[in-house]
Amino acid sequence: MPDQEKEKPATTLAAEAPAAPAPPKPGPPSEDHSQQPFFGEPLVGFDPSEITGSLIVIEGMDGSGRSTQIALLQEWLESEGFAVQTSGLRRSNLVGRDIDELLAKNAVTRLTLALMYATDFFDQIEHRILPALRSGTIVLADRYIFTLIGRGVVRGINRDYMGGLYAMALRPHLTFWLNVRPETAFGREFRKAQAISYWEAGRDMSLSHDLYWSFIRYQTMIKREFEVMAKKHNFIELDGEASVSAVNKLLRQRIAEQLGIRSTKYTPSSALSHLWR
Amino acid sequence: METQDAVQKPARTEPVKSTLPQPGRPIPSRSYPGALIVVEGTDGSGKSTQLYLLKRWLEIGGYRLHFTEWNSSPLVKSATRRGKQRRLLTPTTFSLLHAADFADRCERQIMPLLQGDYLVLADRYVYTAFARDTARGCSPRWLRNLYRFAPIPDITFYFRAPLDVAVNRILSGRPKLKYYEAGMDLGMSYDRAESFRLFQARILEEYDKMVETDSFVVLDGTMPVNKLQKQMRDIVASKIDLKRFAPRAEVAE
Repeated sequence: MPDQEKEKPATTLAAEAPAAPAPPKPGPPSEDHSQQPFFGEPLVGFDPSEITGSLIVIEGMDGSGRSTQIALLQEWLESEGFAVQTSGLRRSNLVGRDIDELLAKNAVTRLTLALMYATDFFDQIEHRILPALRSGTIVLADRYIFTLIGRGVVRGINRDYMGGLYAMALRPHLTFWLNVRPETAFGREFRKAQAISYWEAGRDMSLSHDLYWSFIRYQTMIKREFEVMAKKHNFIELDGEASVSAVNKLLRQRIAEQLGIRSTKYTPSSALSHLWR
Repeated sequence: METQDAVQKPARTEPVKSTLPQPGRPIPSRSYPGALIVVEGTDGSGKSTQLYLLKRWLEIGGYRLHFTEWNSSPLVKSATRRGKQRRLLTPTTFSLLHAADFADRCERQIMPLLQGDYLVLADRYVYTAFARDTARGCSPRWLRNLYRFAPIPDITFYFRAPLDVAVNRILSGRPKLKYYEAGMDLGMSYDRAESFRLFQARILEEYDKMVETDSFVVLDGTMPVNKLQKQMRDIVASKIDLKRFAPRAEVAE
């Protein structure tokens, strides 16, 4: 059975912000649950006590294998009888497509883009993720606020500012970080499209005219931000260079523990077997 | 003399609580040569008329200036319109979308122009978001953080009109209030006009709270237009070294 009471990390994102309230106390849960499900501040108009599902986040750079793992996890969880919903960046009804357009035009500045992503994020939280969690669904999130914070910070936006922006983000029950070397990620991403995109390579940051070096430098900067956040937010770090099946096994073990699933046995169906390496 | 009465506190000293704390990188408060003049107030307080007249005065004088309006960035406009039409917006996303809009104007217009030694006139500024979004239930602390990249204005005129006056000005001139404009999303009343009045009352209260903390220059929105404009021009002339923005040719003489 899903047991959302069990997992209550003591850290809060708001602890980064200068004027933040005292973080929720670790140890036995207090009577007041209102603060705990969110990083810093409660979201206007939502009662977090209604959450019965679990929010599981998979983070990692482009080419770290996130979407492959999520497809496999969804199949496994569904075979175990859990309702699953996925979420990811730029998928909101409100501004998902607007962000695509902004990215295509390159006309957007860093702060506007950061705020559009925040809008996209909270629209999904309010209209998709929270309703799903209230109905006991497992939400698998392909990236979360950590990517968004990292991207802002490497572009020179103040870390506290970014943290404060996401103070009302729901705290995940589990956060996995698929850690890969930028060089490996480059190869994987290049194979996918036979090219590297403007934003993946962080070309707006003028790091290098050489696409390869631009990609490596940019992703290395993001990776450093992840290293900082990994400690603060109890990321479960997995070696994203390992085989798909090996990574998937570790993910299943940890998730099974969280959800109280006895067996972690899984073989992908024929529809997904091509992913299994 | 009458200027003295209507104007509360010229407040030239540094604001005690720097209400828009500057973030690490962007914009320390006075690192630019330009000047920023802002008008704020509830709907129907007369602020836009007054800012228009101030702008005409400066334009006719040939000063270098730029005028910017709340909620007008072309990049974000379609998203805002869609969100409002389909009623997809919650207090949080309403606030974020307007912040994105403001950030776009701030990064692409307001800041470059202030750096480039322009006079920037803004019809509504971040205080609109503070008043409106707080009235919608957003956390004030979160909001202050959200907008802390905004440069602090040199003058913030707050046009204050009693609730009835302002609300009646709007209701008599506008046949149909829009959903979010009337604060219908707050569920205070099924009647749009009544909801609007309740919403505006909350906003007015939030504005009033900022008079001290944000060094607003309070003007009486019920005064005759031309008298009010004279006050406004006097204050601008006394607080801002307008010669700096005069046509360059004249400076050369």
